Amino acid sequence: MTDATSIIALPAAPLHALEIWSNPMALATRVQKALGFALPAMNRSAGNGSITLLRFEPTVWLAEGAVSVLVDTLGDDGALTAIGGGIVRFRIAGPGWRELLMEGGVFDTSAAAFPVGATAATVIDHVGVRLHAESDDACIAYVPSSYAQSLHHFWDEALPLLAS
Amino acid sequence: MYQITCPHCGPRAQTEFTYERTTDSVVDPAGDASTAMQALYTRANPMGLDDEIWRHTYGCRAWMVLTRHRVTHEIHAVKAIGPEALP
Amino acid sequence: MSGPSRSATGEETIPFTFDGTTYHARPGDTLAAALLANGIGLVGRSFKYHRPRGIMTAGIEEPNALVTVGTGGRAEPNTRATDVFVYPGMVAKSQNRWPSLSFDVASIFGLAAPALGAGFYYKTFFGPAKHWMRYEGFIRRAAGLGNAPTEPDPDNFSQRAGFCDVLVVGSGPAGLKAALEAAEAGSRVMLVEQDAEPGGSLLRDPDSAIDPAAIIARIKALGGEVLLRTTASGYWDHNFLTLTQRLVEPGAVPPHGFAQRLWHVRAGRVVLATGLIERPVPFANNDHPGVMLSQAVRSYVRRWGVLPGNRVVIATNNDDAYVTAQALVEAGAEVVALLDARASGPAAPSGVTVYHDARPASVTGRKHALRKVTAVVGGSEQSFHADLMAVSGGFVPVAHLHMQAGGKLTWNEEAQAFIPGETPQACETIGAGLAPPPAPAVPPAGKAKKSFVDFQNDVSLADIDLAWQEGYRSVEHLKRYTTLGMATDQGKTSNMVALSRLAEKQGVTVPEAGLTTFRPPFTPVTMGLLAGAGARNAGAHVRRIPLHALHEAHEPIWQPLGYWFRPRAYPLGGESLQQAALREARTVRTIAGLSDVSTLGKFEVSGPDAARLLEIVCATTVGKLAIGRGRYTFMCREDGFVNDDGTVWRLAENRYLLTSSTGGADRMAHLISYVRNSLWPDLKCSVVNVQEHYAGIALAGPRARSILAALIGAESPRHMGYAPGTLAGVPVHVLAASYSGERAFEIHVEASHAAEVWRAIEVSTRAEGGAPYGLEAMELLRIEKGHVVVGGEVDGRSTPHDLGLGGMLNKAGGFIGAAGLTRPALSDPNRNNLVGLVSLDGPIPEGGMLIQRAGQSPQGHVTAAARRILDGGAIALALVQGGHKRHGEELIVTSPTRGEKARVRVTSPHFYDPAGERYRD
Repeated sequence: MTDATSIIALPAAPLHALEIWSNPMALATRVQKALGFALPAMNRSAGNGSITLLRFEPTVWLAEGAVSVLVDTLGDDGALTAIGGGIVRFRIAGPGWRELLMEGGVFDTSAAAFPVGATAATVIDHVGVRLHAESDDACIAYVPSSYAQSLHHFWDEALPLLAS
Repeated sequence: MYQITCPHCGPRAQTEFTYERTTDSVVDPAGDASTAMQALYTRANPMGLDDEIWRHTYGCRAWMVLTRHRVTHEIHAVKAIGPEALP
Repeated sequence: MSGPSRSATGEETIPFTFDGTTYHARPGDTLAAALLANGIGLVGRSFKYHRPRGIMTAGIEEPNALVTVGTGGRAEPNTRATDVFVYPGMVAKSQNRWPSLSFDVASIFGLAAPALGAGFYYKTFFGPAKHWMRYEGFIRRAAGLGNAPTEPDPDNFSQRAGFCDVLVVGSGPAGLKAALEAAEAGSRVMLVEQDAEPGGSLLRDPDSAIDPAAIIARIKALGGEVLLRTTASGYWDHNFLTLTQRLVEPGAVPPHGFAQRLWHVRAGRVVLATGLIERPVPFANNDHPGVMLSQAVRSYVRRWGVLPGNRVVIATNNDDAYVTAQALVEAGAEVVALLDARASGPAAPSGVTVYHDARPASVTGRKHALRKVTAVVGGSEQSFHADLMAVSGGFVPVAHLHMQAGGKLTWNEEAQAFIPGETPQACETIGAGLAPPPAPAVPPAGKAKKSFVDFQNDVSLADIDLAWQEGYRSVEHLKRYTTLGMATDQGKTSNMVALSRLAEKQGVTVPEAGLTTFRPPFTPVTMGLLAGAGARNAGAHVRRIPLHALHEAHEPIWQPLGYWFRPRAYPLGGESLQQAALREARTVRTIAGLSDVSTLGKFEVSGPDAARLLEIVCATTVGKLAIGRGRYTFMCREDGFVNDDGTVWRLAENRYLLTSSTGGADRMAHLISYVRNSLWPDLKCSVVNVQEHYAGIALAGPRARSILAALIGAESPRHMGYAPGTLAGVPVHVLAASYSGERAFEIHVEASHAAEVWRAIEVSTRAEGGAPYGLEAMELLRIEKGHVVVGGEVDGRSTPHDLGLGGMLNKAGGFIGAAGLTRPALSDPNRNNLVGLVSLDGPIPEGGMLIQRAGQSPQGHVTAAARRILDGGAIALALVQGGHKRHGEELIVTSPTRGEKARVRVTSPHFYDPAGERYRD
């Protein structure tokens, strides 16, 4: 566990939206075969080291990493669309990350309500953000690029308030 | 600030949601003009339960129908609408 | 010695000032305790009559001791001296007095009291308005309590979410017990207490069996959250409560920059252990300094070691005041009389004379200090010399949160009080709030005129009687006519006394007389706390375009557009905005220019049903587009009016890109989602909002094609064509579309690589003599070309026909708005149509009204005014009644508010290259 809580912007990385519109069970089977793991359930994550899938929506998964292996599985049942340019990822790490994400928020980020591996989309200080509880020590926040600098500043100002 | 139980995300705060319209205000783009305008400009507005279309805009972005009591604000039911989804 | 005092013990280590004089307080003193300890009994002047006032209570219900604490932007007016804890260097000032507290000129209003009775403000509204204007200035100067700060608040305000299984409000004996039990049962607990110390009534009446500090420690050890200086301020829907927490005392400098926090708490269940507020007794001059509530006196004695007086008269209708008598005696004061309104009561404490059937009638004083109490004892008058009165008219349960939660009240006749009853939410009241002690109704003795009920708004029993006499008989009318219960204390010490008087006048029981509505906040809240971070940024985050830093280096004039900031122009060498814009526009017309169009709405639509979805959302056809082709489109609302416009491009067999306006982007995203999920959930398609994923760069001008071809190493797509390409090593989408009227291309690139692409285009463009252009030049270009803009010509009141776009409508129908468009009124030829205007005089005022001759009602308005870019001459776009049939007609544009006018001729809105020869292949 790092000593102090910090917010760091991560470098730009490929992000895609994987959306399924028909035959979800069949497509899910094909994807599982291609990736080696099942599409995660609602508000959960799953990954294999080269690709991570985060589910924030019932029919859409956020795919982080190399998606080329997925392209051939889709057929007529779904599509991949690049969205990484519009998202800035922040790693919020340290003992106070759960407390920090309650600031200006309405979502319960306590360990019981938001365990490691969970994902959740919510609104923080009027900005729509998506969260992934990466570990006990850190959470990744996916923030629309246009709001990133402003929200980063909001979090920086709130750091002195944290109990830890 | 209601607590709305999203069928996909569980209980969440009202600020994450957008109210769209009542189910009796839905306009069919391909329907006849008279019925369409009737739906657009009139509604039942009961002093009791009504069905309303909401979206969990800042959450899972999915759509649902809420049965809400318009006086007491009790939410009696929430039903997901939209494309077939993987469980 | 007379008046309040406290013997020094050496613990008085905290310096503070009151009205400029330095005093010392002990740790844990409220300002009220410290003032009393330092012998200060006069602390304010009443709102209307400027009567001298002292400290009446020891809690948040204090109506009199309102002070301003802090300086500059941190000053907090109307702070209750009983609800602020002294810290080193605290600056406090009394209010509503001039030139000083002890000599206040405006106290002369007391003499005018007969003219200033209840309903006085309301009565000033009768008669000629100009008289009221004179009263209004005078009222405004005389009225008000503290002064609002004029400097910005230097501190931040935090807002935070909280969640718990059990929220306990109040840390008195009942609250402590409930919180501990819940914590021990494994529940997630929050315990909130508005005081700086836990314990509630235990701080006044200790119980050796209960150690609040130890219980708090145990609750915390079990993971519970305990918040002191935190008030449960509002109880909303679905067990949502707002709590207001002071992180520092008013006026103090917070170490972390945040003065207060607003908690947004969702609780599984709520336990209200909020106790009781003591009820004052009405008698003449009962507002005099030295008249205090009985339990408050006890708090000053036991909690703070202060003696608010040495010779005390106690007036009560219940047993609790006898405990105060005992406490005073133990502290060394003399209780000269205990006036019990009842026929019998408990045994007298040693050294105290009890009088039964005794009611206070009036008090008098000298130099703002209490001197004499006159009572009616068994029918005859009796006087007592005293410097302190402790009064108790009974106890009122604090039911505010219960009522905000939608709860009901039951009437307790013995206590003459409303007790919290049923509630529709998961909430219960426990403790003293359910069991106020018996305290019978007592008819007031003394003159009604000086018997104050609402101390803060200076409302007396006589005012209530006057309201009744004048016909204001319901409790709602009584409140508004007298302003009783409407001050910052919201009637905490006055509502029940008033209601008893009203019920008596109505000849009904108190519950039959009714109650007014309990509304949040429970105690006053500073506006900054409700604004939170929005106190700084007007509640809206600025949205940055991906190339913000790059543009910043060019030192543009920035234009706010909704929440975005976009370059408006790039002035060179001292150019004005107009000069820069004209130069940039000329450059586009003659060579080439590049512009940032990143904020446009953009949606990537994939799947076999992509075109079907687009033909529901868009009012034009889409399905006929070949791969690699695009077209202009527009979208209607359900009522048939134009909502937005944009372009559609077929990128691949089952993949389309839809663009739409910046301002309408979020609205369009919501609409498309509604159509796809709610109306047509079975469509096989995916719609992804890529507004921020792609940055957009427009390259426009006669040399744009060759510049682009050289950059992508391939032929540029022809007009309304799409081609993927590589530019500066980065994959791009090239869309050949023109907004400016010149041949143009929109280059869309993933935002993280936009800088390389912009720089490459800029270098090539400048090499040809071209330059970047901003929004202002874009306006000049599109107006001359006659392109509408959403928010300008498209203002929600125009149909496609009005804008000359009727020919593009999808004849198959089925799109949003198709039904609405069939309504006859939307085809009326007299509707406002889009036209162009050419000036016969000088510049055309934008927003000006169109008339045929002076004095006539307007027949339209100017939506956008400009000048011909190369040839000069003022032109404009306008919406005019029946405009399609009025080309050639001469009209007048007039703007009376600006004093501007021009004669104009109505023309086609397409001033420049109407046939599109500049870009058609």
